[in-house]
Amino acid sequence: MSDVHRPQTEAEACEVIRHAAGTGTALSLLGGNTRAGLGNRVQARAVLCSTGLAGIVDYDPGEMVMTARAGTPLSDLEAVLAANNQMLAFEPIDHRGLLNTQGAPTIGGVFLSNASGPRRLSAGAARDSLLGLRFVNGRGEAIRAGGRVMKNVTGLDLVKLLAGSHGTLGFVTEVTFRVLPRPETEATILLPGLDDATASQAMAAAMAQASDVSAAAHIPQALAQPFSDILGRKTVWTALRLEGLSASVAVRVTALAARLSAFASVETLDALASNTLWRAIRDVTPLQVRQDLPLWRVSVAPTAGHRLVAALRQQADIAALYDWQGGLVWLQMSGQPQADVVRRTIAAVGGGHATLIRASDDQRSGVSAFEPQPEPIAALSARIKAKLDPAGIFSPGRMATVLGAKAGPIGMTG
Amino acid sequence: MSQPIAFLPPRAAVLSQRARIIADLAALLPDGGLVHEARELVPFETDAYVAYRQLPLAVALPRTTQEVSAVLAYCNRHGIPVVPRGAGTSLCGGAIPQPDAVVLGLSRMSAILDVDLDNRVARVQAGVTNLSISETVGPEGFFYAPDPSSQLACTIGGNIGMNSGGAHCLKYGVTTNNLLGVTMVLMDGTVITLGGAHLDAAGYDLLGLVCGSEGQLGIVTEATVRILAKAEGARPVLFGFATSQEAGACVAEIIGAGIIPVAIEFMDRQAIEICEAFAKAGYPLHVGALLIIEVEGSEAEMEAMLAAIVTIARRHSVMTVRESQSATEAALIWKGRKSAFGATGRIADYICMDGTVPLGKLSHVLQRTEEICTGLGLRVANVFHAGDGNMHPLILFDANDPAEAAKAEDAGNEILKVCVEAGGCLTGEHGVGIEKRDLMRFQFSDADLAQQMAVRYAFDADWLLNPSKVFPLEGRPAA
Amino acid sequence: MQTSFTPEQLADPHVAESEKILRRCVHCGFCTATCPTYVTLGNELDSPRGRIYLIKDMLENDRPADREVVTHIDRCLSCLACTTTCPSGVDYMHLIDHARVHIEQTYQRPLGDRMIRGLLAAVLPYPARFRAALALARVARPLAPLLRRVKPLAPLAAMLDLAPRRAAKRRPAPASGDHPAAHGRVILLEGCAQPALDPGINAATVRLLTRRGVAIATPKGEGCCGALVHHMGREPQALDFARRNIDAWTREIEAGGLDAILITASGCGTTIKDYGHMLRLDPLYAAKAARVSALARDITEYLSTLDLEPLPKRDLVVAYHSACSLQHGQKITALPKLLLKTAGFTVRDPAEGHLCCGSAGTYNILQPEISATLKRRKVKNLEATKPDVIAAGNIGCLTQIGSGTAIPIVHTVELLDWAYGGPRPSKLGG
Repeated sequence: MSDVHRPQTEAEACEVIRHAAGTGTALSLLGGNTRAGLGNRVQARAVLCSTGLAGIVDYDPGEMVMTARAGTPLSDLEAVLAANNQMLAFEPIDHRGLLNTQGAPTIGGVFLSNASGPRRLSAGAARDSLLGLRFVNGRGEAIRAGGRVMKNVTGLDLVKLLAGSHGTLGFVTEVTFRVLPRPETEATILLPGLDDATASQAMAAAMAQASDVSAAAHIPQALAQPFSDILGRKTVWTALRLEGLSASVAVRVTALAARLSAFASVETLDALASNTLWRAIRDVTPLQVRQDLPLWRVSVAPTAGHRLVAALRQQADIAALYDWQGGLVWLQMSGQPQADVVRRTIAAVGGGHATLIRASDDQRSGVSAFEPQPEPIAALSARIKAKLDPAGIFSPGRMATVLGAKAGPIGMTG
Repeated sequence: MSQPIAFLPPRAAVLSQRARIIADLAALLPDGGLVHEARELVPFETDAYVAYRQLPLAVALPRTTQEVSAVLAYCNRHGIPVVPRGAGTSLCGGAIPQPDAVVLGLSRMSAILDVDLDNRVARVQAGVTNLSISETVGPEGFFYAPDPSSQLACTIGGNIGMNSGGAHCLKYGVTTNNLLGVTMVLMDGTVITLGGAHLDAAGYDLLGLVCGSEGQLGIVTEATVRILAKAEGARPVLFGFATSQEAGACVAEIIGAGIIPVAIEFMDRQAIEICEAFAKAGYPLHVGALLIIEVEGSEAEMEAMLAAIVTIARRHSVMTVRESQSATEAALIWKGRKSAFGATGRIADYICMDGTVPLGKLSHVLQRTEEICTGLGLRVANVFHAGDGNMHPLILFDANDPAEAAKAEDAGNEILKVCVEAGGCLTGEHGVGIEKRDLMRFQFSDADLAQQMAVRYAFDADWLLNPSKVFPLEGRPAA
Repeated sequence: MQTSFTPEQLADPHVAESEKILRRCVHCGFCTATCPTYVTLGNELDSPRGRIYLIKDMLENDRPADREVVTHIDRCLSCLACTTTCPSGVDYMHLIDHARVHIEQTYQRPLGDRMIRGLLAAVLPYPARFRAALALARVARPLAPLLRRVKPLAPLAAMLDLAPRRAAKRRPAPASGDHPAAHGRVILLEGCAQPALDPGINAATVRLLTRRGVAIATPKGEGCCGALVHHMGREPQALDFARRNIDAWTREIEAGGLDAILITASGCGTTIKDYGHMLRLDPLYAAKAARVSALARDITEYLSTLDLEPLPKRDLVVAYHSACSLQHGQKITALPKLLLKTAGFTVRDPAEGHLCCGSAGTYNILQPEISATLKRRKVKNLEATKPDVIAAGNIGCLTQIGSGTAIPIVHTVELLDWAYGGPRPSKLGG
């Protein structure tokens, strides 16, 4: 890839894209490139990068809404939010540790990869916070979608479609999103020593309480080591986070601890330790170490997570970390990704999807990074892609079904 | 004065084949699933937006996804438009048919298929009412969060079509934030499943695209929705103010202070009188504007949040503060609020607007609304979800007076333009339907609309699904 | 909503009234959700909003009723759940009444239907004929399966099914005497079908009232309240029944000191409370009818004024079935339960309490299939509360539900009579 386009204005971006469409030049769409490696390898002669489009356009804390240009570094934006005691509700994962990348994540990249963290369980994904955006389509036209109010059903929701599209549908130049007040404090309830199945029951019981649990994770034995500073010597932990006003958190901690005492002798973490723990869970710290091993991110129904892992253990040597009440499984394989085994087993436990997050070029061979779709949905997705990017120049291949992969006879051309 | 909103001209080829189409559809829907007698079609000529009426060709009432698929495939083959209908509670004419269209009603698909408390999801047929989900899981301590005022009657299928909100979405979000999966039939009869009990999409977020698409992309027959654990307690509190401006400013300050109650509802004097007449909920009648603010959680949490809200309200010269004293009273307070639109029928016909504006613009838009209506000699009642800026001015008029009806429509259009100018949108939760279709260009550029329409085209190339709605008739892409 | 009637049409006071009712409907659709037939059939034509539309279309176009319209109007139970739900205050009851009269006047039903309806109208309102019919039914019961197979005769099968297996003992109401009253003086509607089906209800009422020092007048000439024929659209016959009762009761009223006209069958109560409206255009009767309606009380309304003392809790769970005519027709919801609780019973509310049991006057005879579906649903909800006994305030519900469950079912007043010193209701055994 020789050319790197870094437009400073939306109009410039339109120009670049019109030209690329006219010449049939494929573009790899990027933000800060800290999530390089998400998705399949892109065959593109040039890069179109959003980092030239930076800065907060509009922010009224009283309305809990911010508009920022897509290339705004996440850290800049979070500093401004923090100064106003606000935050992004969905707690975006920072992929740099997992993927061993450098640079600064951008807010555009966050939304285009729908990067959500532990609070996704209770506060929704990145896509749920995204209210509006501006993007340039494959014809080089600037398009506005959505708006800046929470409730909006005016026309088709292209905002959701673009969120999580990994730069295959449009070049997003500006995003408008909802922010939330930062909770006054937090605390974490810890249940030591539960096996995966019991942990799943405990988390389901916690989520059924009126305790407003904001995050629920389970750290099995093999993965507890990096947490020893926080968690001490015990090696298996189930963690439940409560957030809010101090008085309220205290009351809820007591009530929830009492409810869960049947599962284990409950311990609690104060705000500081809780914060450190959940940051590590968010960024999947225990699975950052072995960069040579393939890593899957699996989404299944919460109570299916441990069943998936148990079934896979029969067939492969794996390490697993559970978030989202057990529904998000970070799955580290010991050798090859074994995509067929993983995806077949997901189907067998009730369905969901697996995304290959980290793998070497060798390991990726013949593997679709994103879950191959059933034929009618793949065909539909391809038609939609063609309506946004008729020349097929946006990050070709990134979300495609890789030929040679078993499922999904027809790939979408993304 | 604005022109009446046009429907697409009926397809002559369809009208001329009426008898054969009816015979064919009847064969696809055994068990009396086809309504086609002229008399019997009349009740389907409109929904809760009664300003427009059109008789359909026939009404199909399937019982299964397979029957839906068969009907759609048939209509697709023969170029017959299809208008989906849930409970017909649309306030924007989303379910109003046209003479060449088959209404596809989901009212006979109303089963709750599966409740999974551990995973906190319920799988339901699209014709199930919103409230019945909460009623089903309520005894176990759960609820389904989106609660449009029509939740007693409106269906989940309709909620998905309109991405419905409600009073409590300030905290819990709207339909799209609580929907995990659908089974849906495309216009060619293909049945697809999007999402499921797991979170987030595998590929493109088609579920997010379908939610709020007003029956333009396909017909949802089943949905998997998220259910949530009920809070320990909940308490609506009434705050009375002398003026709407004070109430509006109070809302902005509450949110600005980082306090997010589960609901902040607004009523002006006219709306208070209307709702009190029906519900007898004990709303104060001497105030100019009323906020219903609901807090939830443990007793201590509710107390703490209320104390903070009361402090702010005092800065805005609150006249009365009254907490509901019992569950019965709380239920009455909500019953009154949720019946506001219907209860307005006691004094006049109305059209209900649904513009959403940034909170800081509430007071301004309220004032402009009043000016626009007064200028045209119309009364207006305001009752809406203040916490998220979703306004519902009810413009009162006499439906038997065509001149006044036209004026009411003009006033509505003017108000929506004000909302868009203030940085808001035409519709927060009711949908565009037929009502706001021709206003879309106030909010979107030609290129914006063309892009949306192009995406729609990817689902239904012959533009057969609910074809007269949402997108202006001019400038549609050729087939 | 918008209507289009000509001034000439509006000159008819019945049309004018219906127009006023229609104008209130904003077509919001809330009523569909609580309508038993919509919930059962899932077709908007069988919902209040659909029927309102059908009626509007028929009246606006001055059209005689036709088969389609009649089908959907006939399926209405007149349970009035819709009026409880309606936020706009649409007076559905008087609209559907008008539609039924219009049907009766402009539509010729098929022969079988006409015969059944004629039979019902000729028998049910007359206690002697009804008793004879019940005796006949006990003999003819084995024919029911045969009749059910011939569609037009299905109503006859339904009738046989509903008839009690044993003849009710003819217990003349205990002589209450017309003593000077310590606590009040009332008329107790004797009724028509109820004494034939279950004379124990009024007997219990008389005992309870008498013990409390309430004097009960027994006016001569009283008969059926007219509800049964009223709901068939046979307006002249209904009004004749009403006038006859008004004459009988007016004599008592004018004799002085009458506190209330008590009704133990809430279906009748709803109609008697509507006499004032039914006869509003009759210059001779309008005022008298209004006076009668103003005095009409359901038995539980009246008992609530007697300040019955709280009794110790007893070990008996009562599932309270709220008859539609009580909860929707007369808006009496909490009073009966409060009385039962005060008397020491544990009272449970079934789920879907707003839904009709399918009895609805002659509905269970004329619409046996829908009625049976509703009965099953009602019984399931009632049984789910695990009661020792079911209580209700309307003879139609008692008969309907009683034919679908093994759990004993009694009138609310029978439990109250027992609690306050009367005999244990025989249906409770022991």
